[in-house]
Amino acid sequence: MSNADLTAILKRIHTCLSHHDYTTASTLLTRAKLALLSLNALVPAPTTPQPILALARETLELGALTSIRQQDPEGFTRYVQQLQPFYDLPSTRLPCAGGNKSKITGLYLLLLLSQGDYAGFHTLLEALEVSEDAHKLEEDVFIQYPVKLEQWLMEGSYDKVWGATKGERVPSEEYGVFSEVGLISLTGRRWHSEEGGRHYPTESPWLVLVGTIRAEIASCSEKAYTSLPISNAKNLLFLDSEGSVIAFAEARGWVVSDGRIRFPLQQEQGARTEKEILVASGTVIENTIGYARELETIV
Amino acid sequence: MVDKRALRSNKPTSSSSTNGEKAASSSSSSHNSVANPQGKSALGKTSSTRTKAAPGKLGNAAATDMGDDKPHINGTEPVENGVSTNGTTDVEMKDDTSEPPTKVKQGKDKDGDEEMTVVVPPSKGLKLSGEVVKSRESDVVMEGSDEVKDETAAEVKEDPVAKAVSDIKSNFVLLERAVAQFDSRFTLRVLRSISSVRKRLTPVILANVVIETYPSSNPTAQTLLATLGQEGASSEMEIDGTPAQPPPRSPSTPKDILPEIDVYLSILVQIYLLDTKAFQAGAKFSDALVHRIHALNRRTLDCLSARVYFYYSLFYEQLAPLPPSSLSPVVSIRQQLLSALRTAVLRKDPDTQATVITLLLRNYLSTSHISQADLLVSHTQFPHAASNNQVARYLYYLGRIRAIQLSYTEAHEHLTAATRKSPSSPSAAGFYQASNKLLIVVELLMGDIPDRALFRQPTLEQALLPYFLLVQAVRVGDLEAFLNTVQTHSSTFRRDGTYTLILRLRQNVIKTGIRMMSLSYSRISLRDICLRLGLGSEESAEYIVAKAIRDGVIEATLDHERGFMKSKEIGDVYATREPGEAFHERIRACLGLHDESVKAMRFPMNQHRLELKNAQEARERERELAKEIQEGDIDDDDAGGDFEGM
Repeated sequence: MSNADLTAILKRIHTCLSHHDYTTASTLLTRAKLALLSLNALVPAPTTPQPILALARETLELGALTSIRQQDPEGFTRYVQQLQPFYDLPSTRLPCAGGNKSKITGLYLLLLLSQGDYAGFHTLLEALEVSEDAHKLEEDVFIQYPVKLEQWLMEGSYDKVWGATKGERVPSEEYGVFSEVGLISLTGRRWHSEEGGRHYPTESPWLVLVGTIRAEIASCSEKAYTSLPISNAKNLLFLDSEGSVIAFAEARGWVVSDGRIRFPLQQEQGARTEKEILVASGTVIENTIGYARELETIV
Repeated sequence: MVDKRALRSNKPTSSSSTNGEKAASSSSSSHNSVANPQGKSALGKTSSTRTKAAPGKLGNAAATDMGDDKPHINGTEPVENGVSTNGTTDVEMKDDTSEPPTKVKQGKDKDGDEEMTVVVPPSKGLKLSGEVVKSRESDVVMEGSDEVKDETAAEVKEDPVAKAVSDIKSNFVLLERAVAQFDSRFTLRVLRSISSVRKRLTPVILANVVIETYPSSNPTAQTLLATLGQEGASSEMEIDGTPAQPPPRSPSTPKDILPEIDVYLSILVQIYLLDTKAFQAGAKFSDALVHRIHALNRRTLDCLSARVYFYYSLFYEQLAPLPPSSLSPVVSIRQQLLSALRTAVLRKDPDTQATVITLLLRNYLSTSHISQADLLVSHTQFPHAASNNQVARYLYYLGRIRAIQLSYTEAHEHLTAATRKSPSSPSAAGFYQASNKLLIVVELLMGDIPDRALFRQPTLEQALLPYFLLVQAVRVGDLEAFLNTVQTHSSTFRRDGTYTLILRLRQNVIKTGIRMMSLSYSRISLRDICLRLGLGSEESAEYIVAKAIRDGVIEATLDHERGFMKSKEIGDVYATREPGEAFHERIRACLGLHDESVKAMRFPMNQHRLELKNAQEARERERELAKEIQEGDIDDDDAGGDFEGM
């Protein structure tokens, strides 16, 4: 297969994408990748000519965008990883213009964020911070969007996050995918927190940024309020109707009675004493014996 | 220039006047002895020495420059530690263990200095030098006593070139002994002396040594000379020769030259190239050297080859394009370093292993390949026998990786250890500052406030100023001040590589603000919270407070309908297990320290025979004493004193 074939295929993929026909696009992508393979350009080699490099990058970027549309996180991650060597090429080999580097990177950041992989998120961000020109990075809408979201999520300004995921403030069409997906399989999800606000979902369904936010809010409200009127809860949780509030409350095991949600009290406080003391005295004794032993060896 | 020399020449006077600081004076003299030949040469003949001294005086902040200038700026100027100048940290650390002070020299130098003080009238700075001396004493003294004997041999008043040559050559003896007795301590001693030799290195000296050591046909000698740009030197030398010491090419030298000596000289050449900023040449030379070392399999070479790798990597770091770009030549040496690591592990060579691991980590982090660095850490085991400096470095890099990955507790642990292990001599101030900066940020991220005393240390005060402002803002929860600080000092933070970490601090500032409010008010409206923290809206404030409650930052409840936060009564901390746990933690640390110090003690070989003998004698004495006590001649105090003496 030759250069021209690949260009033709890419053109078709473009039209498919603009018509939201993702299944055809993905079959075409397979062919495009095969073409790349025969051109030996799936991985950039020092000898690969520049036009082919650009074509290869375009193919992989289209693949990434398609997999985002198809809500296929693994596929997307794979494309991002394949793209990485292309992005690392110097601009003399492959000019940045024409590529969608920041868009793809921003989407990847957003994916990491919605999966709760904060360590990965920050690692990537650190790499960007070092390699990019700092000011360019700060002006980059695509990158700044997930960065801002993360900041708001961390400090807890959920209303700002909510506003940002809504409609026109999303930097590009693909970013909207993250907010479209609502409340899938949120039921019974438990969150555990580690070290100042790291939260990992024990299972990570595809792109539940909104679900993530809602679950966060719910777990906060459980602790912060004793009870809450349903109408207020509706606003707080960004739900559409009171009916969905009740469904959500039941899913989380909250008690709904006479127009109010009552959060189950944490009963740890009461039950603590007896058992705690026993455990505590055990450790104290253990420690003291330990000291005695150590002292003996020293003296 | 004049000022500096004056400063130095004053030193012996100052230290001799401050009696009772023997240790300090001896270390000051070591510094002095180093400085002296330079001073002389600047006054007198050899112009080449002067050219060597010049770049050091001019180009501060460059990785290669550290020599005599450092102690003077100590405490008044932050030692640069940016991406590009990161080298400073490392190179400096390397040097701290050495500076062999020689007591005999001290006398000599004093004479020399008195002559000089006539030329340059003593000026200010007396106090300054005193301070510097005090701070460096601890490190140097430990090493000091050993060194004295070795270098005294070379104590003839002669011109600096010949003296440096004989100094270097005296190290050969040590290397030979190291090989003969298979004891790496001699090699280490040689390595320690490098920093004192370093300041005097000139191509002439090196060429001289090479010519005197090797037969002229030796290929190694040829390469060394070629690198130094002294190919023609061999004939030249003999014609106009150095007056003080005609090359004693004794017929006994044709015996094989040890590879150790080879490598030692190569290291000196590397250092010379580094000091003259000949990075390209240095990289080329080191490349060949590394290949040669890789082929040699000698255990006595281990410490030396570790050093070779160190400079090898330093050279590559300085080549354009500089590290942050992913194309820098740094990336290309990873393969070589990894294979060196593999060999070192197989040969059970802890020195090279430790050095190469830290170099690799540094390498990865310089191009911010954090996940690779993390993988390296998880797949290798850092040798326990590594030298203190390597451990400190390793811990620093580890702390950095963990901080980026948000495991602050781990990062904190590593960084605390790194700062504690960091050498206290001022020449390693760069490392100390860098690790402290990172530590402060991590502490803040964990919600702790660093100790105020930290910012008062003379070596840190200036360098940590931006961080001090940051801490102040976080401590009172002042979001505006925090943002201001970040804005004004962003370039500093970027250079320190802490910028992204600091950006994460924003939420901590808000949390502290909320905590302050929760502590001071039993009930406060969300509107007020919103105003005080400068938040966007009441809704935001509500969510933020709710999150703070969930995260356990404050003990409070929210009332949505009436829009206020009500603080719960704060329990008594002493009723919980927390103080007990803290206490336990400290006791464990103390016990651990004790154990480690016991382990770290070194027992000379065959000493136990002596001890047995001693013990026998002691027992006899004891018996005698017992007899005497029985007879009532001696009281218990005397006896006790006697026992302690053993």
